[in-house]
Amino acid sequence: MSNLYIEQTKSTPRIQFEADSNKLRIEGQSYPENAFKFYEPVLDWIDDHLHQPSQEMVLEIFFHMPYINTSSSKCVMMLLEKLENAHLAGQNVTVRWYYDKENEAALECAEEFKEDLTVPFKIYPVDEDNE
Amino acid sequence: MELNLLELQKVLQSYGVLINFSGRFTQAVIEELGDAVQKYLETEAASKNNTFNVFSVFIEQTQNIKNYETQKASSLLGERIANSGIVAIGKSEAGYFVSSGNVIDNMDLGALAMRLDEMANLDKAALKKLYKEQMKKVITPGSTGAGLGLIDMARRASRPLDYSIVKLDESTSFFTLKVYV
Repeated sequence: MSNLYIEQTKSTPRIQFEADSNKLRIEGQSYPENAFKFYEPVLDWIDDHLHQPSQEMVLEIFFHMPYINTSSSKCVMMLLEKLENAHLAGQNVTVRWYYDKENEAALECAEEFKEDLTVPFKIYPVDEDNE
Repeated sequence: MELNLLELQKVLQSYGVLINFSGRFTQAVIEELGDAVQKYLETEAASKNNTFNVFSVFIEQTQNIKNYETQKASSLLGERIANSGIVAIGKSEAGYFVSSGNVIDNMDLGALAMRLDEMANLDKAALKKLYKEQMKKVITPGSTGAGLGLIDMARRASRPLDYSIVKLDESTSFFTLKVYV
């Protein structure tokens, strides 16, 4: 499986695929100048990955001060739709979303993504102050 | 007349302005100011919710201006528009606010005002519906935004979005958007 690693910057998350555990981690804030350009290789990678028969994928999304701007949200939605389609096609796909437990707005954001999807989607609170 | 920074600062403070920037918006400027906004709100012991929402509105406003700059870069008004950005984050009795302004092409006025006026009459549930509809739209190649920024700000705002348009000349106007969180 081809690897995927994108280093974190102030306005873009670290994106990392762990081949041994089949996890894709997206961790950090996301408000790049051009979200579509930033997420394009990630969306392409997911297409390639899911295209392989019986490929399993667990997606973990971490946000430290969990902020994503609206154009990044659109890209995350496009990403989730790919997982949704894979799920509907019978592939084993899971989404785990972590949010700072003191941040209601971040929880609402995660819940809104989850609302229109049937792919297994779990939302976990994280105690950011104790990390 | 000599520029008197003390007077300028007094004016800004009298309106409750905490952080402001005037000039050409770049991604680097937006990131640094964004950091300053977050740190300032943390020292003010604002709730994480407030900090998140103020930061969010700040990013959407400044990136809207930046995107408009990019969109207009090759037009005759490009330079004027690029140098016209201004943003102020402040605190008033009604809560935190983020105000931003920039020069816009009069040709773009009608569509912008219509969008804002349409949104002004929507409650939170209707705004959510509009947001979700916009979210599902297919992005045209080469676009810099998802068309979600204004709706997102209206959803986070504690009052309807407040905007004003001042005509500068035949081809341009100054557009201001004020969002209370």
